Amino acid sequence: MAKVFGLGSEPVVGLLTPTKKRDYRVTNRLQEGKRPLYAVVFNFIDSRYLSVFATVGGNRITVYQCLEGGVIAVLQSYVDEDKDESFYTVSWASNVDGAPFLVAGGINGVIRVIDTGSERIYKSFVGHGDSINEIRTQALKSSLVISASKDESVRLWNVHTGICILIFAGAGGHRNEVLSVDFHPSDIYKIASCGMDNTVKIWSMKEFWSYVEKSFTWTDLPSKFPTKYVQFPIFNASVHSNYVDCNRWLGDFILSKSVDNEIVLWEPKVKEQTPGEGVVDILQKYPVPECDIWFIKFSCDFHYNQAAIGNREGKIFVWELQSSPPVLIARLVHPQSKSPIRQTAVSFDGSIILSCCEDGTIWRWDDVTNVPPA
Amino acid sequence: MASKSPPPPPPPLPPSFASSSRSELPVDLSGNKANEVSPTVRDVSMVIDSLKKQVAAERIVSVKKRMEENRHKLVGVTNNLGRLSMERMAGSETDAHRSLDLLTKRQKDATDMHNGIHASNDDGESNSYPEDSHGSTAVLLGSNVAVKNAVRPIKLPEIKRLPPYTTWIFLDRNQRMTEDQSVVGRRRIYYDQNGGEALICSDSEEEIIDDEEEKREFVESEDYILRMTVRELGLSDTVLDSLAQCFSRNTSEIKARYETLSKEDNAAEGSKNGDTKDISQSENSFLEKDLEAALDSFDNLFCRRCLVFDCRLHGCSQDLVFPAEKQPLWNAPDTENAPCGPNCFRSVLKSGRFSKATSSAQADVEEKCSGGSSSRKKSSAKRRTKCSQSESASSNAKNISESSDSENGPGKDAFSASQAAPPKTKPVGRGGVGKRNSKRVAERVLVCMQKRQKKTAVSDSDSIVEGDHSSNDMVTEPPVLSSEDNARKEEFVEENICKQESTDNKSWRALEKGLLEKGMEIFGRNSCLIARNLLNGLKTCWEVFQYINWDEGKMSGSAGDGANSLVEGYSKGNNEVRRRSRFLRRRGRVRRLKYTWKSAAYHSIRKRITERKDQPCRQYNPCGCQSACGKQCPCLQNGTCCEKYCGCPKSCKNRFRGCHCAKSQCRSRQCPCFAADRECDPDVCRNCWVSCGDGSLGIPSQRGDNYECRNMKLLLKQQQRVLLGRSDVSGWGAFLKNSVGKHEYLGEYTGELISHREADKRGKIYDRENSSFLFNLNDQFVLDAYRKGDKLKFANHAPDPNCYAKVIMVAGDHRVGIFAKERIMAGEELFYDYRYEPDRAPAWARKPEASGSKKEDGAPSSGRAKKLA
Repeated sequence: MAKVFGLGSEPVVGLLTPTKKRDYRVTNRLQEGKRPLYAVVFNFIDSRYLSVFATVGGNRITVYQCLEGGVIAVLQSYVDEDKDESFYTVSWASNVDGAPFLVAGGINGVIRVIDTGSERIYKSFVGHGDSINEIRTQALKSSLVISASKDESVRLWNVHTGICILIFAGAGGHRNEVLSVDFHPSDIYKIASCGMDNTVKIWSMKEFWSYVEKSFTWTDLPSKFPTKYVQFPIFNASVHSNYVDCNRWLGDFILSKSVDNEIVLWEPKVKEQTPGEGVVDILQKYPVPECDIWFIKFSCDFHYNQAAIGNREGKIFVWELQSSPPVLIARLVHPQSKSPIRQTAVSFDGSIILSCCEDGTIWRWDDVTNVPPA
Repeated sequence: MASKSPPPPPPPLPPSFASSSRSELPVDLSGNKANEVSPTVRDVSMVIDSLKKQVAAERIVSVKKRMEENRHKLVGVTNNLGRLSMERMAGSETDAHRSLDLLTKRQKDATDMHNGIHASNDDGESNSYPEDSHGSTAVLLGSNVAVKNAVRPIKLPEIKRLPPYTTWIFLDRNQRMTEDQSVVGRRRIYYDQNGGEALICSDSEEEIIDDEEEKREFVESEDYILRMTVRELGLSDTVLDSLAQCFSRNTSEIKARYETLSKEDNAAEGSKNGDTKDISQSENSFLEKDLEAALDSFDNLFCRRCLVFDCRLHGCSQDLVFPAEKQPLWNAPDTENAPCGPNCFRSVLKSGRFSKATSSAQADVEEKCSGGSSSRKKSSAKRRTKCSQSESASSNAKNISESSDSENGPGKDAFSASQAAPPKTKPVGRGGVGKRNSKRVAERVLVCMQKRQKKTAVSDSDSIVEGDHSSNDMVTEPPVLSSEDNARKEEFVEENICKQESTDNKSWRALEKGLLEKGMEIFGRNSCLIARNLLNGLKTCWEVFQYINWDEGKMSGSAGDGANSLVEGYSKGNNEVRRRSRFLRRRGRVRRLKYTWKSAAYHSIRKRITERKDQPCRQYNPCGCQSACGKQCPCLQNGTCCEKYCGCPKSCKNRFRGCHCAKSQCRSRQCPCFAADRECDPDVCRNCWVSCGDGSLGIPSQRGDNYECRNMKLLLKQQQRVLLGRSDVSGWGAFLKNSVGKHEYLGEYTGELISHREADKRGKIYDRENSSFLFNLNDQFVLDAYRKGDKLKFANHAPDPNCYAKVIMVAGDHRVGIFAKERIMAGEELFYDYRYEPDRAPAWARKPEASGSKKEDGAPSSGRAKKLA
């Protein structure tokens, strides 16, 4: 169902003609296993590990490093003893003293916090009533992570103390699985979540911030922490008419995608007086052909200059995010890449793009614009 | 006549629509066809197209600008984040024990090895050609330098997952569903995990699309195009049609929008002239604000059944029900003769040498009042030298309008007091005079108010000043003093006249008058209690006393006066009904029911008990009957009893009378309440009581016996501790903490109250997931504990359970109680029979083992009463 735009509020739509601003070539391909890979993510939390990335698929979490010349090195591998576990998401975080953490979750609904510095499981969070669809880390306070779950809730955790601080659910919460969640890059109180109820909700934890602070000094059992419910979002947007499976903040704007072959950039205009209400102004659209199945997520480089998204046919579209109209930087096609790409990862400066696929392969694409072909 | 004035040239590109949207419109809408040749469709479309292009270009520019602004902001943000990630590195590097970081070590190893390979293998090509080296790079680390770098998977010990559940909110009492929670008419997509397909659940596509169409509002740019097109081409059908096509709307919509736009313009234009009018209007509305208006939000938000604001169970804006029977007046016998404070009318009267003060004999008091005030005047004469001027001025005014004096002069002379003698003895002929006069007074007050408001702000705060002055001053003093402070000499006399006249009317604001009325309803003519409880800080007891008496005198005369109509007849019983019916009319619901003895309450109750075995109980809504309920009573028609929340008098035959149980503790069907599946209500039952606490506080129980009522457990929330845990059978289960005996109340099954229609919609998806928390409550509502409820929602189904559920009427509401069917030991899991209809029961409900979901269809408590007896 196409949304009708009033005159003068039409979005600016990017053209699908590749500009070849950057030229990417496949430099590596790995077959990790038979099971589908659902997530791949670079470590942006700790600048020591900017070339380190992690993938999840099945009951396995793997840590890799990108080396020069397209080489990928396996650094660590973790396997859940429960063979039925299927991880859907992984995120880098860190302890308060800087230890690099990996936080992963999946079908079991158990959040696994792994200390990659000591190669040990650090904590496991039991609490979600169903599978976990996405975990994200607060870049400003990297021991705070947030998880989106099938149990219709979004939860804020302190990985350092193992406390579930807040639960975003209830009277104004999601009415179906939550598929994606993201921290606002600068406003530490704000998060955005979206899911199968076709809505994108913006939540504020400003009123509850004392609990977040309390969670760092909590010494009693985590289960005794006074976890609070945040029942009402400050903004409820109906931008899409189908599942919304990925949303990311772009400054104060939000990038979100449904199964309509496009990423949408829109501005939430929150009315302070009447919480929950507001206006959505759809600014730009980034078309992505053959991207009509759900659970396909996009990713950005550290500075949000470009976003990469795979599609059902194994192609990757790299969009320049912040230009108006949007510019298609490159379209990455390889004859052997045919499997749906669930998630991509863009390196710090955008020179490497990784993709993980339904068939269990990892593809590495390197920017060869300035590299003369050998 | 749009095109009679030559169309102005199209303006240059406006910087934004906001600035141009205020541009004037050709105003006249009528007769637009009558004028010159209307523009052709082509002209119109050309104009519209150019405007559209202009708007589109504007949009692109504005998006670009905003993107640029956002980008600018984001640069700072990401730089800050980059700095943070650098700090993390720096912080950990200085940390001594961090040197053991395995991730860093592995990273280093890998890099070294990679470089080593590079060194040993000069043929760097193998890595540069991705197509060739897919395999080699992947295995590079695993095979070539196997010993050092074989990545052995690290095992994560298994953690048992929780049984699945949807996040839910605890409810300690049922809640009615809010509108935004409804799934009716909404499109939902259900993803079938097993089938891997998405199913769309909605009533019908068209319905939804229609909804969205309606919502579309005119955006700024559309307004702009509309304005500009009409300005250029005038208003004609062609223009409207083309515009409609352009906006994909109806022509009528466009026309309506144009009208509102031109109205807005007119309003903006005429705003200068309107200013003064507005002020005077707001002034009036301030004067008119009375208790009813002030109570409006109270009436809307306060639940008279639960005595809370914003009741989640019964909702806001309930129908107001006024009891036909008045509460007896509140009496405070011990304060009969003691003054309530320094401003008590008693002490004032005493100071005036009148020792025996009783408010019962009215005429008596009237005299005393006047005498007292005059004597007080003498005693404080020195202090009020200034005032005496105004007094004299006002006595001049007396000559001008005598009755106005008699109304507001606080008992200035015996003459007016005698006029204000008890209304019964008052000659009717005076009514007309009084009416006229009071009208005049009201007019003057108004004029006076306006005048003063312009002159000085102090007068505004007159009444506030008054409230602060809690000395022995009478009503008139503070305003007079304050007005003199302002030294308005020119109009000195006149001002004072106004002041004197307005004193009583004005200083008693409408709100205060309203409060006084209410006070008289509650406390009778007891000025002490009224002043303390309702007008605290606003009026003193003495002022209240005076006002009551003055009002009493004036009342019969000023019946028709708008300003005073509020006060009318409030202390007189025969006026009560009239007043209330006015109130009801305001709410749009007048029910005058004829008194009849033909109701058959007890019969219908008995019938309901027996009938209920087959049909669900009926939702109770209080009736507003003002006399004993007859055939038209909504309760009677609906088949419910009248309850204590109904308006009808207690003698109403349809009322449930409660029980008279003395020693049985209301635990068996011999108790009428119990037999009717109701909890006892101390307001209704004659002997039902509970002791206060367990006696540990040293409060003796009210009676020596142990016969307190045992049929109020839901009301009193005397429930057992229920624990949530992994069920022995399936999923989650509810467990009992302490052992209980047979028929013990365990707790309430709470949830969202939803309509049957809503339940049908929700149930479709719940049944697919094989997990439903719906519970039939009565003919109107179903309880849904899916997202809101309590732990008892996790109690599993069993064909041979240890608990049973029962719908019980508690204080007018149906609630679901879970009771022990047998003795249950501590820690046992709780089960009850979901009582599915045979044809609808899922497979697991038919087997001995139950599974983790539940559904209650049909009458849940039917037939259970039998087992109890």
